[in-house]
Amino acid sequence: MSVLAARGLTVEARRRGGAVPVLRGINFTVEPGQVLGLVEEAGAGAAVVGRAVAQRLPPGLAMVHGSLSFLGAELMAMPADEMRGLLGREIAFLPPSPLAALHPARTVGAQLEAHLRRLGVARRELRAKAVAALAGVGVAEAVLGRLPHHLSQEQCQLVLVAMAFAGAPKLVVAEEPTAALDAAAQGRVLAAIQALRRAQGAAMLLITRDLLLAGAICDELAVMTGGDIVEIGPAASVLRAPRHPYTSSLLLATPPMRGARPDLYLLPEPAAGERALAGVAGCRFAPRCPVRAEYCLRTEPPLEGDAHRSACIRPGLVPTIVAQGEVPPPPWRPVGEVPVLALEGVGKAVTTGPAWRRETVAAVHDISLRITPGEFVAVVGEEGCGASLLARLAAGLEQPAAGRIMLAGVDVSVDAASARQQHAATVQMVFDEAQAALTPWRRVSDIVTEALAVRQSRSRVRETRARQLLAEMGMPLALGVRLPGQLGEAQRRRVALARALCGEPKLLVADGLFDGLDAPAQADLLGLLLRLRHRLDFALLLVCRDLAVARHLCERVLVMHQGAIVEDGLADTVFGWPRHEATKALLAGSPR
Amino acid sequence: MMRFLRRYLWPRWVRSGRVLLGLLSVLAVLAIAVVAPVLAPHDPLAQDLSLTLRPIELRGVYPLGTDGLGRCVLSRLMFGARAAVLVALPAALGALLLGGGLGLAAGWLGGRVERAVGWLAAAWVAFPPVVLALLLVAGGSGVAMAAMLSAWPLFCRVLRAELQAVAGRGHVAAALMLGFPRGQVLWREVVPAVLPAALALLAWVAAGAVGLEAVLAFLDLGGAPDRLSWGRMLADGWEVVFLAPINLVAPGVVLFSVMAGLALLGDGLRGTMGLALPEARLADDAMAGDGP
Repeated sequence: MSVLAARGLTVEARRRGGAVPVLRGINFTVEPGQVLGLVEEAGAGAAVVGRAVAQRLPPGLAMVHGSLSFLGAELMAMPADEMRGLLGREIAFLPPSPLAALHPARTVGAQLEAHLRRLGVARRELRAKAVAALAGVGVAEAVLGRLPHHLSQEQCQLVLVAMAFAGAPKLVVAEEPTAALDAAAQGRVLAAIQALRRAQGAAMLLITRDLLLAGAICDELAVMTGGDIVEIGPAASVLRAPRHPYTSSLLLATPPMRGARPDLYLLPEPAAGERALAGVAGCRFAPRCPVRAEYCLRTEPPLEGDAHRSACIRPGLVPTIVAQGEVPPPPWRPVGEVPVLALEGVGKAVTTGPAWRRETVAAVHDISLRITPGEFVAVVGEEGCGASLLARLAAGLEQPAAGRIMLAGVDVSVDAASARQQHAATVQMVFDEAQAALTPWRRVSDIVTEALAVRQSRSRVRETRARQLLAEMGMPLALGVRLPGQLGEAQRRRVALARALCGEPKLLVADGLFDGLDAPAQADLLGLLLRLRHRLDFALLLVCRDLAVARHLCERVLVMHQGAIVEDGLADTVFGWPRHEATKALLAGSPR
Repeated sequence: MMRFLRRYLWPRWVRSGRVLLGLLSVLAVLAIAVVAPVLAPHDPLAQDLSLTLRPIELRGVYPLGTDGLGRCVLSRLMFGARAAVLVALPAALGALLLGGGLGLAAGWLGGRVERAVGWLAAAWVAFPPVVLALLLVAGGSGVAMAAMLSAWPLFCRVLRAELQAVAGRGHVAAALMLGFPRGQVLWREVVPAVLPAALALLAWVAAGAVGLEAVLAFLDLGGAPDRLSWGRMLADGWEVVFLAPINLVAPGVVLFSVMAGLALLGDGLRGTMGLALPEARLADDAMAGDGP
């Protein structure tokens, strides 16, 4: 019997102006011990499947028909207390943000023991079982007495993995379990999940936006778009010989880790919202499909095939979808220019811990670095390696405790007031969490021209510049009147980018600009940055989790480890012939 | 700033029942306080010793009856609104300016300023507000001043906490990076974000000030013995409660509804203020694909 089976699962969102389908009658099964990956673009509805399993649909969403059964028992009709008995025991969940999933004010040990207690472990054995559960995921016993915010995201996620598998579940629903983790931690967490899952024979439903990640650990893959499964089959077969144009375009939009750097494939337009798709009669991908026929727009294709099924009437044309050309080489620069940013022996310590037990840790130390004009540099490293602090130091948001920082040849570590002026003119930064990075009550056209507001330019001037910037970012001018909350994730990042580039800085610092984006949006943003580079001539310091993104965009890569730069060189050299253990760990965790 | 108010605060107010009810009662009291001389059927101080302790006669000369000295209860209620407004308004606004200013300065400047303000506010709230107000009034300060001085730490602490939550956001750092002076960053990026909390608190503090004024008047402190105040009416009505209960009931009901109205207003504001988008998105982030 299947562990989880969805038959015609249909979920609708009740909105002003009627119900909008979010899941449109999808079918899939998860067999015992098997891993099914649901791969989606933002808004395709895969996350809703996970919520439906827990019977915790977001407000406004409701399951209207179809069935979702767990080991033959219908989840939809199940009484609430029976459901509660199932969750955490038979069905376990792994969340995307481990730190937020743990109670902030109770120790890890208390939370783990409370969970074990609920699973029926005797009080005397709690401690031993908790230690054993942690040992199973390779976390030290000392962690038990600590609070979640003392731990790294990786440790938090490992604790949650230990909790999830403590009850020997039949099914684990993992929603982007590595979204908050760096590449090395991603590898370790996935290895821990797989080891426990294999030992217990548990099945898993993995919901992710990363096709390669899903390919690395799933037996079967289901690719979703617009609330439909458009292709489902054995992972190797789906990845090697996709039979749906959408899958193919997702694969071509993912930067490769070795070989040449081909241009990424761009879909003609971003995904439409579920409201716009509600009226589409034919294939939901047809409006964006490069190989569509007139027929596709009118009639919905059935999901056909034996083991590897796809909902496309012209699978033969899928291999014809290719991206043209290669990433252009960086623009030519004269030799011997003054570096736009030079760090000499920069160090900074942070104090942590309660007032009675202060600990001073060198967050970064002895950093020396030069970035020449127009150079794109990526900084990669494990969580807590100091890369984000390095970015903030370069941006002038933090002052170094030791060493010198020179911006375009001017020492900015001497005089604070003139340093601020120098910073504003030379360096701008794009902040990681794009939503809070934009003033929520200001319109897009006002946000992107904030740099002009500093100089109190006239509104006419600002209006014109806003139009220019939006056009440069490839955004429709109509978006200028929107508020940040009315934009999609990818659009918000463009707005943040436009604001930083408004004053034409010589160096752009970006922290986590690509984190959490799906492949098409990421490819779009990468292409945009490469185009802007040739037009605006700025250097980039990019703190980045995804090594393939770093390699695609930047010719030079720095690897940081425990506050120091341990490798520095051409991207292909560093990733092709890693020398430091930290680099090797990062590479090992990146799915290829 | 104007545009901010229009877009950011207005839309959802209108739809909240609590806010409407609260606004209605507050505006009614304000209006009555302003036009009391025109509206009142009698001089609130004029005594008619031949008609004392009259009961309610809605169509009579004294619609809500008279008190022990033959003064019109309705007129006294109307003029009493003036005392309430004259205390609550300056007290709440003054506390907002003083406490809010100190709180924002402390949070934004940090360091020694923050510690000093923190200690001062903590020491200040160690006194119960009514006791503090009694001390201040006994020391000769006005009732409004007393109410303000007992309420400012509330604004100080709440706004400092709100500021700390906002100051770490990306848009604040971005404004700093773009080269705005620090003071302007506070005004442009932080103040609008803490304004909803400040306005909600304003209503609550005003309710407290109305109550405080009544308490002080009841105890006959801080003002002329024959002043017009709901608290004074309560004290007078207390003595004749069995002869003409309206003398106690009327000011009690008015006092209650004004304070409840203000509290509802504050409650409603806190619940509904925030960014109201023309097109509400789905609650779930995963579904936020509605951009074009």
